[in-house]
Order: sequence, then structure tokens, then C-alpha cells
Amino acid sequence: MADPNVVDPIHQFAIYDLVSFGEGGPALTNSALFMALTVAAIGGYLLWSTAPRSIVPGRAQVLSEMLYEFVANMVRGSAGKEGMKFFPFIFSLFMFVLVANLFGMVPYFFTVTSHIIVTFALAALVMAVVIGYGFFRHGPKFLKLFVPAGVPFPILFIVVPIEVISFLSRPVSLSVRLFGNMLAGHITLKVFAGFVVTLGSLGFFGVLGAILPLLMAVAITVLELMVSVVQAYVFAVLASMYINDAIHPSH
Amino acid sequence: MTPPRDENGTAPRDVKRDAGVTRDLAARIAAAKRGQMGPAEADGRSSGQMSALGRGFRIGSEFAAAILVGAALGYLLDLWLGTQPWIMLVMLLFGFAAGILNVTRAVAEMNKAAQPQDGADLGRPNDEQR
Repeated sequence: MADPNVVDPIHQFAIYDLVSFGEGGPALTNSALFMALTVAAIGGYLLWSTAPRSIVPGRAQVLSEMLYEFVANMVRGSAGKEGMKFFPFIFSLFMFVLVANLFGMVPYFFTVTSHIIVTFALAALVMAVVIGYGFFRHGPKFLKLFVPAGVPFPILFIVVPIEVISFLSRPVSLSVRLFGNMLAGHITLKVFAGFVVTLGSLGFFGVLGAILPLLMAVAITVLELMVSVVQAYVFAVLASMYINDAIHPSH
Repeated sequence: MTPPRDENGTAPRDVKRDAGVTRDLAARIAAAKRGQMGPAEADGRSSGQMSALGRGFRIGSEFAAAILVGAALGYLLDLWLGTQPWIMLVMLLFGFAAGILNVTRAVAEMNKAAQPQDGADLGRPNDEQR
């Protein structure tokens, strides 16, 4: 960003090939690289911190155990004891979203979760698990999810489409919420940081004025850190609540 | 007679106290396990722990997503049946209804999970059944 008058807050989301294998062939993009780094960071940390398996855990092991306990309590709270079958799934989702969000807060790092295709793929995976397990467990009775008990027959023509749309809207709301939060937060951060650069180039009073957006940028950074954690949590809670619907299809 | 000493020259451990510690530990492990088992059914604890920010975003996006999905579904049906724009309009309204349903469900979950504050005025009991 050499020219202080050109601030491009969208540029940070551009995907480009880092290594491409042949023309039009598969390529390693920056997005794929950071997904791999996220998974490597999670796997590496958890394996490294729990390797000593001490009864009195060290700091790193305590953090891993706290993450485990936190997600386990969350799954128990929203999907019941039976939902613990899906604990590895929810834990992986939670850790991936959390670490990807937090990676996005590191300068020059790419935010994987700021692309709707990534968040939608995660949400679609959750829905595939819900539908797959629902039919596997209950067979055609799973469709009772769309037919509330005790509704007179003629009303079903109105209620069933509403229930179906409500069900189909879940992956959309799940993915749009995460993507929207990350995208909006990073754009806001970049815009305020851009004000600092632009104002700073206007001489003495400009530098004085630049203090205000600088303070805002610091505040938004803190807010974004919080949003990263909250959104990862919301994503995981809702995923486990949807799985609860697959286990108990009747409301 | 002096009590027997091991090679370090320390006195043997107080067996009675050790038994107490072990019993205490066993009780604590049992308590932790009970906590881990928890209720068999979901009790909605987790959604109550969401921060206000999380809850706000959740309600907003649930509402918007249902309308979008309804309209998109109607649009696709229209393309298929060649009846633009009628099914889309109808499904938009269905989507609106589904959005309201989503919001009421989300809020009902949150209400169930939230404990009322001390001295909160919840109205007369069974007020809503009149």
C-alpha cells in the first residue's frame, strides 16, 4: 500500500495460486495453505501438549484439557448424552473454525473463514451428517421432523413447507453468519487502519487526527478477537443442536 | 522399640490419613464422573451461555436466511415449471413465516436456558393459559 490515498479493504480476501501444477491444473492457493496450516497447528498443538500424559498437567496440557472439557460440556448440554457420539466431529469443527478465525487476526495471514464457500462447505457437512444420521437411525420416520404432532390435516399443507424452508435455512444462516462476521470485521479493521495512513500523510494536523482512527483500530482488533471466539462457539453449539434434531426428530 | 524406618530414614506414612485422602479422592472422582454423565437429554444449557453478541447475530441471521431460502426455492421451482413469478412470491411469504418460526424457536431456547433473575417480575403464574 504505497499510495496512501488508495486503500483497498477487499484486497486482503483475494485468492491466488502459490504453486500451480500445470496450466489449469490443481494449484495450492493461499486459502488452501492456511487451511492446511490451521489443521497442522491444531493437530500439532494437541499432540504435543498431551504427549506427556501427566496426571498433574502442565500449562499446555491444561489448555488442551480445558478445550476438550468445554466442547464436551457444550455437546452434552445441547445434544444430550447420545450426542457425545458426535463429539469428535463437533470438536474438529470448533477447533478448525476457532483457529482459522484467530489466524485471520494475525497480520498478513489469510482468513479462511471469510469466504462463504468455506463456511458453507462446513455447514453443508453438518447438514449432511444430520440428514444421514437421521435416516440411518430413524429411517423414514426422520421425516416426522417436518410434520409437527397434533396438527390437523389441512393445515399440514401450510406447515410442512414452512418447516422444510426452516430446515433448509439452517445451513444458510450457519454459514452466512460466520462468513459475514469475519468479512465485515476484517473490512472494518482495514478501513480504519486505512484512515490512519491517509490522515497521517496530511502533515502535522493529519497525524494528530490519525490518533482517533488508530484508537478505533485497536478497539476493533479486540472486538474481532472476541467475535472470532464467539462465532466459533455459536457455530459448534448450533451444529450440536442440529445433531440433537437428528437424534430426536420429534420436537 | 523404635518404629521401622526405610532406607531414607523417614518414618512410615500415616496409613490412616492416607486412607482418608484416598476416600476423599474417590468421592471427588465419583462426583466428577456424575457431572460428566449429566442428564441423558439435552437441557439447552449451551445456548444460554452464548454471549449477547452471539445471540443477536443468531436471531438476525436465522430470520434473513429463511426468507432467502424461501425465495430461492420458489425461483428454482418457477424456472422449472415456467411460472415466473408466482411460486417465488408465494414461497417468499412461506420463507417469511419460516423466518418467524426460526426466531421464535431460537428465542424459546434462549428463554428456557436463561435463569430468571432474583426478584424478576414474571407476571402471574399460568398467565398465558387464560
